[in-house]
Amino acid sequence: MRRSRELARRVFAHRAAQASLAWLATLILLSLFTPLLPIDPLAQDLLAELQGPSAAHWFGTDELGRDILARVIYGARTSLMTAAGAVAIAGAIGVPIGLLAGFFGGWRDAVLMRLVDVLLALPGILLAMAIIAVVGRSQAAALLAVGITGIPSFARITRAQVLSLRKRDFVVAVEALGGSAAYIMFRTVLPNSWSPILVQVVVLSAVAILLEAALAFLGIGIPPPTPSWGEMLRTGKTFLYEAPTYAVLPGLVLTLTILSLDMLGRVMASVLEDRHEIEAPAALQGGRP
Amino acid sequence: MIGYMLRRLAQLLPVLLIASFCIWAMIYAIPGGPVGMILGENATPEQIAALRAELGLDRPVIVQYWEWLTRALGGDLGLSLHSRQPVASLIGERLPATVQLGLAATVVGLAIGVPVAVASALRPGSWLDRTLSIWSALALGVPTFWLGILLILLFAVHLRWLPSASGYLPLWESPFEMLRNTLLPAFTLGMYVSGIFARFLRASLVSELRADYVRTARSKGLPEREVVGLHVMRNAMLPFVTIVGLMMANFIGGTVVTEAVFTYPGLGRLLITAISTRDYPLIQGCILVILVIYIVINVMVDVLYAYIDPRIEYA
Repeated sequence: MRRSRELARRVFAHRAAQASLAWLATLILLSLFTPLLPIDPLAQDLLAELQGPSAAHWFGTDELGRDILARVIYGARTSLMTAAGAVAIAGAIGVPIGLLAGFFGGWRDAVLMRLVDVLLALPGILLAMAIIAVVGRSQAAALLAVGITGIPSFARITRAQVLSLRKRDFVVAVEALGGSAAYIMFRTVLPNSWSPILVQVVVLSAVAILLEAALAFLGIGIPPPTPSWGEMLRTGKTFLYEAPTYAVLPGLVLTLTILSLDMLGRVMASVLEDRHEIEAPAALQGGRP
Repeated sequence: MIGYMLRRLAQLLPVLLIASFCIWAMIYAIPGGPVGMILGENATPEQIAALRAELGLDRPVIVQYWEWLTRALGGDLGLSLHSRQPVASLIGERLPATVQLGLAATVVGLAIGVPVAVASALRPGSWLDRTLSIWSALALGVPTFWLGILLILLFAVHLRWLPSASGYLPLWESPFEMLRNTLLPAFTLGMYVSGIFARFLRASLVSELRADYVRTARSKGLPEREVVGLHVMRNAMLPFVTIVGLMMANFIGGTVVTEAVFTYPGLGRLLITAISTRDYPLIQGCILVILVIYIVINVMVDVLYAYIDPRIEYA
């Protein structure tokens, strides 16, 4: 507990991390209270279609005269919820895989990690596309697809963490006192592995938001009319001549969100690295769209 | 050396087998299965029985998979449900476009990433290093599809210098037109990898510059250009080769989004069309081809790394 407070203090001390947190907090607050805001992402005004930014519509209007800012705010909700759900799926499957593989070693490690390798045999976006091809296009499909692509990194990080803790005195002591495998894994090793897993949560949230937007941009993500940043970029791209800001502004919000999460993840990783708690910086996730 | 190569391949074989099994099993997981996929929902029981016998669905799963795999390895990926053309030839038409775009993007990535890495590694912590690190964070964080849209807005809509939709022209047929068409997508994709290249090479250079041999070289009076150019670069390049190779492997499938932004006729667009029209043989073919290329490049990167670094033991 004291250690996580120390971690939080050192992350907060970083100016770039403060800016990132401020942006993310705004997004989270807006998405929590969207239903209370006096905005409607579905209200059409066919007389005011494809307008540029104005006092009435700060981000302009889309091809059906809907307010783009309202859709961006509702899109934040879609993005954050997909990210949270996908990271939860990835963690719920990946962390136990890593724990079991690292703790037992031997054939169980070999089998589990080979299965994880299969998930890595394709770049993330292609894996997600293949999953959607099988289960069809829906909100659940997008969530599942993005979640499954995140499993390998959780499994690997947790496994590495278990391997490095496995021979430490306090773990050996619990083992000598007769602690069961489950007790050692979940009550001794896991509580000491939270920091690198937390960094991974932040990094994967960025990947998940980007992946969800990319799938929507390709036309196979969450189906309309649910507002999604990627879907807005997709439609906005067809009106580049009529309304250039249509695709630019939602993209800017998406980019700021990704950059904030990346920055936060990197600051957290560097703080942890100083304390030699993680093996490698988590900043780099291959196979990004 | 050959033994090492074979061992690496043998390690990847289970992964390849399981992954190809998943790709094959894909059509069995969709609602209605392969029969429903071909006949649609309104098929009579007789039609279904006839097709099941024709497709050999009554035989053991392993036999069916093995037959599919051996035919696929022989280049027969089946027929597209929509165009009724062989999947292999449809993929063959699109693959060169994706490979050309991937290579062009690698060139752009190296042309930007290497100088950035060298400039920032030589003076770690300086203002230049800090500026360049912000720049590579941007390169990594800005989504390719948004960057692509911004570039189209600037160079096609506003300045009208380049086309907003890019076609595929082989380099050797019309170099100038090829450049005009490939410049924006290659830059979009190359910008992202330049961030990865810069970050990796910088880290590798910084750690090499601290090594003892650098101090020795400096103290015997070698000019800095030779210390960096001759000694440090060579060692720092070793891990870097792996990253460049892995990125090129990623491009085979990773160009999907960029191809969509620029309506570029590559493998990625083919896959997207296949998914939206539910053309399963084509989906399977595309993913299988991408998977094989991805894994082959990965093995080649390992082998190349072992080849250029004599310290790696093949055993």
